[in-house]
Amino acid sequence: MRRVVISGVGAISPLGDNVVSLIEGITQGKSAVEYMDGWNQYVGLRSLVGAYSVCKDEKSIPRQSRRSMSRMSIFATKAAEEAIADAGMDEGMLRSGRTGCIIGSTMGSPKSLSDTFEIMLPDRDLTKLSSMKFFQCVSHTAAMNVAQYLGIRGRVMATSAACASALQAIGTGFELVRHGMQEVVLCGGAEELHPTVTGSFDILFATSTGYNNDPKKTPRPFDKKRDGLVCGEGSGILVLEEYEQAKKRGAKIYAEVVGYNTCGSGLHVSQSNCAVMETCMKESLKDAGISAGDVDYICAHATATIHGDKEEAKAIKAVFGASIPVSSFKGYMGHTLGASGALELIVAIDGMQKGVVYPTKNLDEVAPECEGIMHVKEPLKKDINILVKNCFAFGGINAALVCKK
Amino acid sequence: MDKQRIVEKVNQVFEESFEIEKNELAPEKKIFDDLGLDSLDIVDLVVALQQKFSIKIRDDERVRNIRSLKDIYDYITKLGEEGVLPKDGK
Repeated sequence: MRRVVISGVGAISPLGDNVVSLIEGITQGKSAVEYMDGWNQYVGLRSLVGAYSVCKDEKSIPRQSRRSMSRMSIFATKAAEEAIADAGMDEGMLRSGRTGCIIGSTMGSPKSLSDTFEIMLPDRDLTKLSSMKFFQCVSHTAAMNVAQYLGIRGRVMATSAACASALQAIGTGFELVRHGMQEVVLCGGAEELHPTVTGSFDILFATSTGYNNDPKKTPRPFDKKRDGLVCGEGSGILVLEEYEQAKKRGAKIYAEVVGYNTCGSGLHVSQSNCAVMETCMKESLKDAGISAGDVDYICAHATATIHGDKEEAKAIKAVFGASIPVSSFKGYMGHTLGASGALELIVAIDGMQKGVVYPTKNLDEVAPECEGIMHVKEPLKKDINILVKNCFAFGGINAALVCKK
Repeated sequence: MDKQRIVEKVNQVFEESFEIEKNELAPEKKIFDDLGLDSLDIVDLVVALQQKFSIKIRDDERVRNIRSLKDIYDYITKLGEEGVLPKDGK
């Protein structure tokens, strides 16, 4: 089995349109959550907060490539461009057929889907629809658009698994390179903020509704006063590369991916389950050939839902005990859903490089049901050699990735 | 609607939907070869013209003969003569 390293990163997040601004936002303790104007027009939508991203130079993508891209694909393309430049990849490598592209998202563009139905209904008139709507609405829109734009001829896949999309993309890319099927894989996730996306969680009573007048105070992972998730958007892309090749061409190496697991719960479409989360994390450690005691930091999923945070805390306690620091980054930029695994991993790896655990924002008082693990409320200087990144998604889809410095 | 207004509105479609600068639009310009549209764009061109002029032309055979901007100006003008364009002529 071959070793797999991360040789480039790119990001569009609610904290800014590149990795530097993402990290700066985290280190400055910023919140990108805002009150969303116009959302109160949706009857019954209770959560009116979100974290949106801005991409400044969309038109640098030529029109004929950009026309099939909704915002999520533009985010993914710009993040991929940053990651490729960061990795020093040349066009020859991209087009060789030995480079793949795996980008997941919860769904196709919610805005394009919403526009399509608003145009078509109630008369069911197809004649007013743009030809590009299809390409924007399909669930593999981000992977497809990025791969076409960059000329990628290797494996192109879309891991559509809600909040686990990006981590499944990275884990799958890891397995492909590890087993010699690809030399390089661009992996990550993308997502678009839209009131209907928040609405779908809102209907399930999973959103934060108590901080519409104080948006910076939410979401509140693990906190006693948490009241649900806040949706965000953006894209995180990582370049995964075979280690010997990366070393030979003098590429920057951010971290090594050493273990991965993804599994279903087989239990409930929306309720997370700590026993299954435990299994997922344990299997990822087994895959990495390490024990729980070898881990220096856990980058939690923790979205600030009442049930999810509690289950994850229990699972982390069962596997890792109370001496390994844990934090969640959702308080800074909301839950970027399909992009979250990638964006948060990029932050965690930055912390690993700098020897710091970035804290959980908005964690003022740990909820009693989330106690028993080592919560980080202020930046913690620590030598991090091995980290675990968790993503636990709706549909009982769980993923955990292990990275080494 | 007079010819001048038709030309203006057709040109707006190309500026808005295809990001083509006004100064690149001239009657003799070929849609595919000069203005860079392709077969996917033609679907959207028809949708945009329908919306701009409040007409339904998707199933009109004559659309298939369009090659240049002038062809579009002339086609819409013909529709006007046939009484197809809305009466308010804005």
